[in-house]
Amino acid sequence: MNRFEFTKIRVLETGHNSGSWNMALDEVLMNGVGDTPILKIYGWKPSCVSIGYFQSMNEEVNVEKCKQVGIDCVRRITGGGAVFHESELTYSFISRNYPQSIMQSYEMVCEMLILTLKKLGFDAKFSPLNDIIVGGRKVCGNAQTRKNGVMLQHGTMLLGVDVEKMFSLLKVPKEKISDKAIEDVKQRVFGIGKKFDLVANTLKDSASETFSADLSLENITQEEAAATEVLDLEKYASKEWNFKR
Amino acid sequence: MKNLANIFKAKKLIKISMSYDDKKNVIGSIKITGKKNVIGSIKITGDFFIHPEETLESLEANLIDTKLERNEISKKVEESLKNSEAFGFDVNSMTDAIMGCLKNE
Repeated sequence: MNRFEFTKIRVLETGHNSGSWNMALDEVLMNGVGDTPILKIYGWKPSCVSIGYFQSMNEEVNVEKCKQVGIDCVRRITGGGAVFHESELTYSFISRNYPQSIMQSYEMVCEMLILTLKKLGFDAKFSPLNDIIVGGRKVCGNAQTRKNGVMLQHGTMLLGVDVEKMFSLLKVPKEKISDKAIEDVKQRVFGIGKKFDLVANTLKDSASETFSADLSLENITQEEAAATEVLDLEKYASKEWNFKR
Repeated sequence: MKNLANIFKAKKLIKISMSYDDKKNVIGSIKITGKKNVIGSIKITGDFFIHPEETLESLEANLIDTKLERNEISKKVEESLKNSEAFGFDVNSMTDAIMGCLKNE
């Protein structure tokens, strides 16, 4: 059992949306969260490349290629590397109560994800600082920020991996796009090959169990939806934000 | 002004691009305003983490007008990071990443 327990967790299943909308909602929820933490479960439509807060879009992403094939690009408010979001389940966990140690707070949230994977039949382990591995291969990457006493951790659980497509969208040096490099990445990452809905339901059960909490399944409020629309348009879909570095 | 860049692998990747003034501040016998061998502008990118995130912008701002010398850079990096937590690099590796630009001159 986790050292952190909550009476209730507010669960939002927001479906598959654009990268800028997904990131805008994370920020809106961070700004409005009360004592009840929030677990948001979602996907990306269209598929999306997100970059870490400290990365440069032009250095990391083949933006023209993304435009050609209809893939979104967005900057996150969290650090870390570029991620191609396609066949995956993404979660955000937002809470006012969390361990002050960054490492311990990653562990706290990852415990819920590890339990999810165990329930699905995988021997998953926490790999500090921010990964979860199965058989030595990364299955879940996570990133975190803290603002005004609120912690946001979001991350992805890989359902499938298309390394060739990922390489075509990220700026991987040409000399590195070899059969061997593609094979290396395939050896380092792992898609669990389960359906989105099954993983989502298992994650909800695991959140309840990990934090000894009741789940409150809700929709986002009209106010949250309206604030998200504004933040999507004004920040996360803007060139100023996405190309700021 | 010279433009320099470096990619440095710490625990995470650090990418530096900067301009710095390497000109002597003397034209004929007239001393001109400006400093020699100082950073004019700098951008630091990468897949690391810093909490709070705004620390990186402060670090970049604090490095402007700093002499491109190891001790000076290290001091500024240490000062800028003192109230933050960084993952993927430390003071030494960030200093190495910045000083590494000179190797690519």
